[in-house]
Amino acid sequence: MRYVPLIVLGACAVTAPVFATQYLSPEQAQKLMFPEADAFRAQPLTLDTAQMRQVEQLAGLPARSNQWRVVGAYKGGTLLGYMVLDDVIGKFELISYAVGLNPDASVRQVEILAYRESHGGEIRLPAWRKQFAGKSAKSGDLRIGAGINNISGATLSCTHVTDGVRRIAAVAQVALAR
Amino acid sequence: MKQRILSAALAAAFLAAPAAALAQDTDLAKRVEQLAAELEKVKAELAAQRAQAAAAAPAQPVQAAQPVQPAVTAPAAAAAAAPAAALASDTVFSGYGEVNYNHPVRNASGAQTDLRRAVIGIQHRFDEKTKVVAEFEWEHAIASADDSGESAIEQMYVEREFNGGLRGKAGLFLMPVGLLNQNHEPTAYYGVERNFVETAIIPTTWREAGLGLSGDFGDGFSWDTGLTTGFDLTKWDPASDEGRESPLGAIHQEGQLAKSRNLSLHGALNWRGYPGLLVGGSVFTGKAGHATPDFAGNDARVTVAELHTRYTPGAWDLSALWAYGRISNTEALNATFVGNATPVPSSFAGWYLQSAYKLWQDGDYTFSPFARFESFNTARSYAQVPAGLGVPATPYERVATVGANLMVGQGVVLKADYQKFREDKTRDRVNLGVGFAY
Repeated sequence: MRYVPLIVLGACAVTAPVFATQYLSPEQAQKLMFPEADAFRAQPLTLDTAQMRQVEQLAGLPARSNQWRVVGAYKGGTLLGYMVLDDVIGKFELISYAVGLNPDASVRQVEILAYRESHGGEIRLPAWRKQFAGKSAKSGDLRIGAGINNISGATLSCTHVTDGVRRIAAVAQVALAR
Repeated sequence: MKQRILSAALAAAFLAAPAAALAQDTDLAKRVEQLAAELEKVKAELAAQRAQAAAAAPAQPVQAAQPVQPAVTAPAAAAAAAPAAALASDTVFSGYGEVNYNHPVRNASGAQTDLRRAVIGIQHRFDEKTKVVAEFEWEHAIASADDSGESAIEQMYVEREFNGGLRGKAGLFLMPVGLLNQNHEPTAYYGVERNFVETAIIPTTWREAGLGLSGDFGDGFSWDTGLTTGFDLTKWDPASDEGRESPLGAIHQEGQLAKSRNLSLHGALNWRGYPGLLVGGSVFTGKAGHATPDFAGNDARVTVAELHTRYTPGAWDLSALWAYGRISNTEALNATFVGNATPVPSSFAGWYLQSAYKLWQDGDYTFSPFARFESFNTARSYAQVPAGLGVPATPYERVATVGANLMVGQGVVLKADYQKFREDKTRDRVNLGVGFAY
């Protein structure tokens, strides 16, 4: 009899409708980042070799790809900033995230679109993501332990997302900044 | 004639050679440059594809981004990425291991080197919401009838995600207790050996078979609860000192023909709402007699409670943990153990404070000295037995550990430390270790 509440809870869970681990779609993310925008334009970015070298130097990480998924946010034809979509591996699984950037390539906002690990879902917490705002690839503080605090029990997810954001900030610095 | 033509041709060739070579040189240089650029590009693409293939989203996002015309305005991001939907079935291998060297400073002949453990993990994702996780472990290098090694399944459970981030687990899984139990890879903790409180009081790596549920309340709160197997007090050997080393380690079942007449409940609550800070606690309770005929401890209940915190601001890594264990209703059982050295304790407890600092970093080397102070007692008290027949409770052992971890990248760690024991000074030792996790 003691276990009845647990069994009921378990039964509820089993019969509950199944829900995907995707928390935000890219459209939702871009609206969250640029609520004032009236137009979003996909502006896929291809880096040349020299740019990739610059990215590596700036981020201290392999540039990984020369293709980047970039969306420009505009209001009345004026550029408000960019959103860059990316995926990194947490511990075992893919984390999909988006980085909002100001026209000067500083980070505006980070949103987690999908998280699939059993532990470390706390990287979705606003308090953790807020740490990125205002930092840039040049400021040197887009690192765990130097500007970004990690989440206990989710060290790899935090490190890999932070590295990913730093790489994107470097890409923006090299190829998008005005 | 033939000779003349040949020599003329040769002469022409020689004469033409420098000019041709010059032209070829510049051509060649250009081509080499082009090739180098292309190679860089291919290398980068390959690396990106590998990273994505490893995560089972084969280059999909990049391709998806291209067909979108720059002129399209509103749903620009729609085609830019839908990686979540693209996730196919996926199998991921992982592993960790460590080799340790212990040198008791007062007994050099007791120095020992041990392949402490080697673990292979396999995670397979059936679909977006269903996966199975398994870890296979070997301890002490060789497991055979003549050796002291062990082979064990450390975890094996299926997990399904439900509505709102709720996750259900079934199988053999790690108890959500303390800081170490679920994060026990050598790269995840300081010191060559795992801390005493989370091995002697909390029997890391502590796993039970059963059902578990996890979820979060938002605002950084996450919870775990479950109904699982528990301990088997009939395993207690009062003549052995195993129960003195770790009371729960002596009676754990680890999913091996585990007695299940009595099941146990656990619950854990953790808060990670402030970046870098974790505060949490857990309780585990269940009877351990399993209605065994002619057994005097059928009413005994094992309860473990702990509180933990870890804060990692900047280069610091600070943690603290308190754990308390209790085995109730052991009077009658201990009366049958009179004359033996190790009756069942009614309580055992411990705590530690640890501080580490990332002192030096160069490339992918990170050097972090640390200090830990622990106080623990595996036989804090015994249930009352008739005067003169009991065993006195043991004093708290206090251990100070100072040392350093040198991380090489994120997956390899070299460790060295010195441990000083307040009670049993013969155990003072120097430890060296190498570990990895991927």
